[in-house]
Amino acid sequence: MNEHPVQLVVSDDLTRERLTVFFRALLAIPHFIWLFLWSIAALPAAIANWLATLARGRSPAALHRFLAAYVKYVTQFYAYLHLAANPYPPFDGQAGYPVDVIIAAPARQNRASVAFRVILLLPAALLVGALVGDPASSLNSGRGSFSFNAGLLPVAALLGWFAIMARGRMPHGLRDAAAYALSYGAQFWAYALLLTDRYPDSDPLKAVPGLPLRADPIHLDVEDELRRSRLTVFFRLLLAIPHLIWLQLWGILALLAAIVSWLATLFAGRSPAWAHRFLSAYLRYQFHVYAFLYLIANPFPGFVGKAGSYSLEIVVAARERQNRWKTGFRLILVLPALLLAGAYGGLSGLVALLGWFSSLARARMPRGLRNAGALALRYQAQAFGYLLLLTDAYPYGGPTRELAPASERESPADTSSPPSAPSAGAAPSAPATHPDVGLS
Amino acid sequence: MSVARATWDRAVARPGRSALVLACLLAFAVLWALAAHALWHSTVPGGLRLAHVDPREVFSARFLARSSSYERFLDIDALLGELTLVVVLALYARRGHRLMRESAAGRIGTGMMLGMLGFAVLWIAEIPFGLAAVWWERRHGISHQGYVASLLTSFLSLGAKFLFVSLALLVAMGLAGVLRRWWWALAAPVFAGLALLSSFLSVYLIPDTHPLHNPQTSADVRELARIEHVPGTRAEVQDVNRDTTAPNAESVGFGSTRRLILWNTLLDGRFPRAQVRVVTAHELGHIAHHHILKRVGWLALFLLPAAGLVALFTRRRGGLARPEAVPVALFVFVVLQLLTMPLTNIVSRHEEAEADWSALNATRDPAAARALFRNLAATSLANPNPPAWTYVLYQDHPTIVQRIAMVDAWQARPAR
Repeated sequence: MNEHPVQLVVSDDLTRERLTVFFRALLAIPHFIWLFLWSIAALPAAIANWLATLARGRSPAALHRFLAAYVKYVTQFYAYLHLAANPYPPFDGQAGYPVDVIIAAPARQNRASVAFRVILLLPAALLVGALVGDPASSLNSGRGSFSFNAGLLPVAALLGWFAIMARGRMPHGLRDAAAYALSYGAQFWAYALLLTDRYPDSDPLKAVPGLPLRADPIHLDVEDELRRSRLTVFFRLLLAIPHLIWLQLWGILALLAAIVSWLATLFAGRSPAWAHRFLSAYLRYQFHVYAFLYLIANPFPGFVGKAGSYSLEIVVAARERQNRWKTGFRLILVLPALLLAGAYGGLSGLVALLGWFSSLARARMPRGLRNAGALALRYQAQAFGYLLLLTDAYPYGGPTRELAPASERESPADTSSPPSAPSAGAAPSAPATHPDVGLS
Repeated sequence: MSVARATWDRAVARPGRSALVLACLLAFAVLWALAAHALWHSTVPGGLRLAHVDPREVFSARFLARSSSYERFLDIDALLGELTLVVVLALYARRGHRLMRESAAGRIGTGMMLGMLGFAVLWIAEIPFGLAAVWWERRHGISHQGYVASLLTSFLSLGAKFLFVSLALLVAMGLAGVLRRWWWALAAPVFAGLALLSSFLSVYLIPDTHPLHNPQTSADVRELARIEHVPGTRAEVQDVNRDTTAPNAESVGFGSTRRLILWNTLLDGRFPRAQVRVVTAHELGHIAHHHILKRVGWLALFLLPAAGLVALFTRRRGGLARPEAVPVALFVFVVLQLLTMPLTNIVSRHEEAEADWSALNATRDPAAARALFRNLAATSLANPNPPAWTYVLYQDHPTIVQRIAMVDAWQARPAR
């Protein structure tokens, strides 16, 4: 399939100026005002573009240029605001910003898709809510319950802020997580404003250029072939009930084992072999169940978390020495990771919802949704594995190429970057196939 | 049947062994009959003869026509639903094993998945019959439940069935993995034990209940419980009026969890105090005569041969230790359940009659009992004298006419 007409370009080197990061939200005030004004102008332009595209089957060049500039500006501003880029962004959406978006020239569009665009947008709007954040979302504290549902981008920004204050650099994984959200947001707005009739692609592998192929102690091995059984999809939630009950029971033992393992690791510098084995099986089983429940994998999983038994496997490395300081303060250190895992949890829930309808209709899970779900599960598995002392390597927040089955990793979309460990400064890379519309 | 035949042939081929098998079967049959006889025991006088009651003398011709039409539709709908169930399960027994490719679980996990999917397929097949029943009940003002709410409720209750079948297969397949052909001998008592546990805990699974606040009814419950020798039985009210107008009550649990549950539709003013007393005494009668425990006993008696037959019919698929045998096991078990439904109904009617008798003895108010049965028929549009086939297949209570006849018999009994 052709690449998406809306592509993110990242040439950011991860270095950040602490002063501007500290005051980032305040520095962004002029942009907030400008965005508000530009949005007022963009609304009638979007309506005019809708009518013109419906009539002519193609977006008029002037309107396309204006609205494309708006999308580029929004993306650049959001990248700045959420710490995915460092320099103060321009006010006209001109090209060359470290996190930029390339939008292809106007092309013919399907009139039916144009006519029903508002309805067609709804599933993507839900996903945008989980990735970029829902304006109404916040910290929700109810009676006896607490949930965080701000979206991936704001959470990555929040964590990134503290990391930058400490180290003067944005962590690579958090930057890529933010870039993934920004890419989907840009594709969503381009689709909403009729700059293209290509649906936003939720595949994290195609969202960010130059993704690393990492070898984390807890990583993912995907062998899923996207086929889904309609019968098991329809009843997926009910079919998972025995697993969810068994998981709760196993969780009680896992908690006790984790406490013992924590004490032992603190003294011996290495978790006991039995605890590592037991907790690895628990983690594998937990994510077999989640992959099944969220439709990220198809088969009904086994009940013992046997290694290599499932098409979406959490691979846990053999036990190794762990830093005692990191072990001692594990419960505190894990909090940021759990926060990001919560944001990814929202994403996996939406993947399940949208994938349910799609799989029922086509007996296949869309690749983009599957990979988005795999990203969410991989991060959550790393976070829980870190909490359970299976490793002292901190979870990696961004997408990596391991999210695709091994046979698909060298697809044309990925060949622009050779497999490598993440470097301190990511090399600037951009797809060369899309002509920019020349907004500057 | 060829498997059964081959088993029989092999048994006959070895005279010594066949004699042993026959002796065991005979001993089992005798024990079974003794247990059934003990469970059948009732406090209703043995020689009690119910006089014929002409429904036309009790109910108007219009009501008889309306209730007959109402129940006829529901009975035919249920019959068609059951026929569909058998056909769908037969197809599933033939082809269900193909769904094994959707599992990455081991043999028991895969078996559990196949069991759950069997129930899922049944749920889909029975949707039209369920919706037709809701439509008919709404049309007659018996149910207020919406179609979507009805579907959603049945979908959610499917979750409980999934859990039940998973647990049952875990036990059966686990035992089959160890005991091979003889798993059923141990599975039946294990299932009976689980049924006992579930009966004990069932009170905690009833939704929308709250303690009985009405002081008059509470006092009646205490008085009747004392008379029926079950003092201290707690009464609760279940709010069901959102879904139905039909009145009902039930007794659940045993020992410390025994409860009397009264639907709030029974306490909404349509039934005078004297009639509510009869209902209360009837339910306390169930508790006093240990009917819940007796039900578990009957279940155990049913399960032993049923599990044996399941074991026999699944041999062609390698026995219940193998997941591909699960669809066949499901089919055999459900068909056995349907075939034994008339027997189950006989047992149920027998116990209900005993509870009625117990209520008459406790309240000593035959007029209230007679009025109650008329009122029950009117509010739930129950056909007082249903056709024989529905009586055999679906009536788990004596008919209204039989219940009124029992009141007459109680009045006519020799004075003590």
